[in-house]
Parts: sequence; C-alpha cells; structure tokens
Amino acid sequence: MSSLRQVRFLLGKDLRIELRKKESLVSMAFFGTLILVMLNIANGIGRQVDAETGAGILWVAIIFSSVLGLGRVFAREKENGCVAALLLSPVTAGEIYLAKTLVNFTLMLLAELVLVPVFYVLFGAQLNAAPLTLLPILLLVNLGFSTTGTLVSAISAGTRRNEVLLPILLFPLILPLTALAVKATSGALAAKPLTALLDQLEPMAAFCVVFTAAGYLLFPFAIRED
Amino acid sequence: MRLRPKNTCRTKRKPKTSVSDQPPFLSISGLRKSYGGREALRGIDLDLQRGEFLCLFGPNGAGKSTLLKIVATLLRPSAGQVNLLDYDLQEHPEQYRAQLGMVSHQSFVYQDLSVLENLEFYAALYGVKQPRERSLELLEQVNLLDCCDMLAANLSRGMQQRLTIARALVNDPTLLLLDEPYTGLDEHAASVLRDQLQLLHSRKRTIIMVTHNLRRGMESATRLGILTRGELVYLEPKKNIDQAGFEKLYFQHLETV
Repeated sequence: MSSLRQVRFLLGKDLRIELRKKESLVSMAFFGTLILVMLNIANGIGRQVDAETGAGILWVAIIFSSVLGLGRVFAREKENGCVAALLLSPVTAGEIYLAKTLVNFTLMLLAELVLVPVFYVLFGAQLNAAPLTLLPILLLVNLGFSTTGTLVSAISAGTRRNEVLLPILLFPLILPLTALAVKATSGALAAKPLTALLDQLEPMAAFCVVFTAAGYLLFPFAIRED
Repeated sequence: MRLRPKNTCRTKRKPKTSVSDQPPFLSISGLRKSYGGREALRGIDLDLQRGEFLCLFGPNGAGKSTLLKIVATLLRPSAGQVNLLDYDLQEHPEQYRAQLGMVSHQSFVYQDLSVLENLEFYAALYGVKQPRERSLELLEQVNLLDCCDMLAANLSRGMQQRLTIARALVNDPTLLLLDEPYTGLDEHAASVLRDQLQLLHSRKRTIIMVTHNLRRGMESATRLGILTRGELVYLEPKKNIDQAGFEKLYFQHLETV
C-alpha cells in the first residue's frame, strides 16, 4: 500500500480525535494567549514595543504553547498500547513520523490562527507589518518545530518524566531556528520586504530539511521498545 | 534437575520442534534475547505448520511475552531468526506484519474513537478492501454491532475486550498471537474469544497462545509447550498427553523454578 495512503489514514485519525476532544488546541491557544497577556502586563499596558521585542514576545508565546500539543500527540498513542498496534501493522515508522509531524504542524497552525491576532491586538498598534508578511516565517518555524518536536516527543514519551524531558531536550535543538525566526520576524514587523529577510529564511529552510531527514531516519529507533 | 513427563520422550536433547516434514509456516531458530546482562530467551527453536494451535505455558518471567513480542516484531532479538512462510522478519517486516494479529495485555484501541471508527482505522491501515463492511462483520461476530457508534472509552471492560478481539482479527491474520487473552475476561467475552479461536483454527489459521489458564489453553490447542527461564523445556502434540498428566508436569516445572 502506498505511503501516502497510510499517512493519510494516520493523519485523519489524529485530527478526528483532536477536533472531537480539542484537548491540545484549546490548551495551546489558551496558554499562548495567557503568555501574551502576561507579557503585555509586564511590559506596561499601552507602552510601545519595538519590532525586536515584539518578535521575541510572539515566538515565546508560540513555542511554549506548542510544546503542550507535542506532548499530547504521543501520550495518546501510549494509552492502551496503541503505538504497539501501529508497529504491529504494515505501517512503517517513517510513515508514522510523517503523519505525526503533519498533525503537530496543523495544530501549531491552528493555534497561531488565534495567537497572531491576539498578539496584534495587544502589541500590534505600534507595529507596521501586515500579518500576511509573517506567513512564510510561521510556516518554516512550524515545519522545523514539528519535525524536531515529533522526534523528541517520541523519545520522551517512553520516559516517566515526559512533560519535563520534552522541553529540556527540545529547546536546545530548536534554538538556532528560534533565533533566526525572531530576527526574521523583527524584520517583518518593521515592514521590511520579504527579499530582505532571505538571510534568515534560507538557513531556516535548511534547518527544516536537515531535521526532517534526521527525524525520518532516527524515528524508528525512538519509537521502538528496544 | 529438570523434570520429565510420563509418556513423553524428554531427554537431554531439545524438544522436537516440528511435527511435520513439510516446510514450516513459522520457523524460529536460535532465538535469544537479553536485557542488559539478563537472558530472557536462551535459544528457542520452534517450527509451526499452518493451522497449528500452540499453547505456551510457563511461570512469570519465563520469557513467554518476550517470545511473542519478538514474533510480533515489537522487539528485536539479540540473536536468531524468525521466518513466516518466505518472509524474513528482518528483511520484509511490512509483508510479515500484514499476516499478523495480536491480542495483548493492552487493548490497542483508541478511547476517543467510536467502536466502528477504531476497526475502520485499523482495517484501512491493513489495506482491507472494504473496511466498513469488514468492521461491521467483525462487530456482529463479537456482539458489538449495537454499540458501533459508542466511544471506546464508554464501553464496559468486557465489551472493550471483545473490541480488542475484533481489532486483532481485522486483517484476517494467518498468524494470531495471544498473550494471556483470557485475563480479566468475563464469561461472555471468554466464550466469544473461544468461538473465534475455534473458527480461526478450523480455517487453518496458525495460533500461538501464552496463558496461565491450563483449562482454557488445553481446550483448543493442538500442541503444548512449557517455557521456563527462557528455554522451551517441553513441546509436544496435545494428543501425546492427557490433561491431568500435563497439569502434573506443569506444576512440577513450576516447583523447580
């Protein structure tokens, strides 16, 4: 059977559960909004933030809230041994990895549909860029975060302190991506054209390619009991 | 001292691994598994023909579940080989796994999907031609058709176990692995399982069951095995020994462990 079909079945199952329960989505959107509100209060309500600070605030909210979704996607597979059932089926570990990555990517995107408007409402009055300028940056970070996060959450899901281990392992790995994203976002928020951000976007794309390949190759070792 | 049954030819040699001269359906040779320094399996050799029903008994920690997990591809062996027909476990894992069904300690069902959605999902993964029809057929066999729209989380334990049985059969497996399948089953679920096993056996499906329940194990099996300390110390066709004799032999083995 074709890999695409298998990925589609796995993705459809996860999204159906998520849309039914809305556990990850609600917690990601709520937690991210909470971070934005707290940072808005800490900054002083009504006080201006420059593009660099705004970019940092946006990515702190997105990255921290996205970790909640990552942990949940694999926790669900561990319940009742479903991950073993997947490994017993003719699905390859690579197909499971791609499906989980797409689930995480979709969840991040949906959470950002809430968080970016909230960010603009709270901080956007002083920022120049239209939200659409952020789109390529958001997509690249989502991809890099999802590919890396899926691998790390598969590793940490097998441990007792999953919720602690996941961010400890993940954040150092995505540090280069986050730093590039903050720089690119600050340029976008300062109304620079997309071509002026290529110095950040190109290494971000390279990060995504490298971590997708590494995740795909390493995932079979991360997901198995032995 | 290793104990021997009456009426059987247990000597210092290993148990005869096959009852036929035909090429085996499932062939396990020299299988070893170590966890750190501890050997869970110490050189298992076993051949099964198509349609055989092997029931493996043994005390806790004997290596029964480890053996099943290796055959199911969930664990990698430290040494040795497992072949199903012409499919080498290492070389053709997907084709090999497409032939398998497993009932384990865990239900393998998603609590947030309905009964029918669970079966349809697994049927689709196995490439079943008509996943919905196959799922409904199985739900009827395990008496869950009326609950097909219920979330798995809302099923009683007995109903969940019947769903587990249906899930394991969704791909019509040619090799069925059962790890303590009767544990915690209510009488209804146990009779559903027994009926399904008899049906599969009559259709020449090969079955390996691991259990502590001697009565349940012996009522359907065609071969009996005892695994202790990672070694297959007894393996004979059921016809070679009566139930009382086997029970005596089994408890003697337990005492030595």
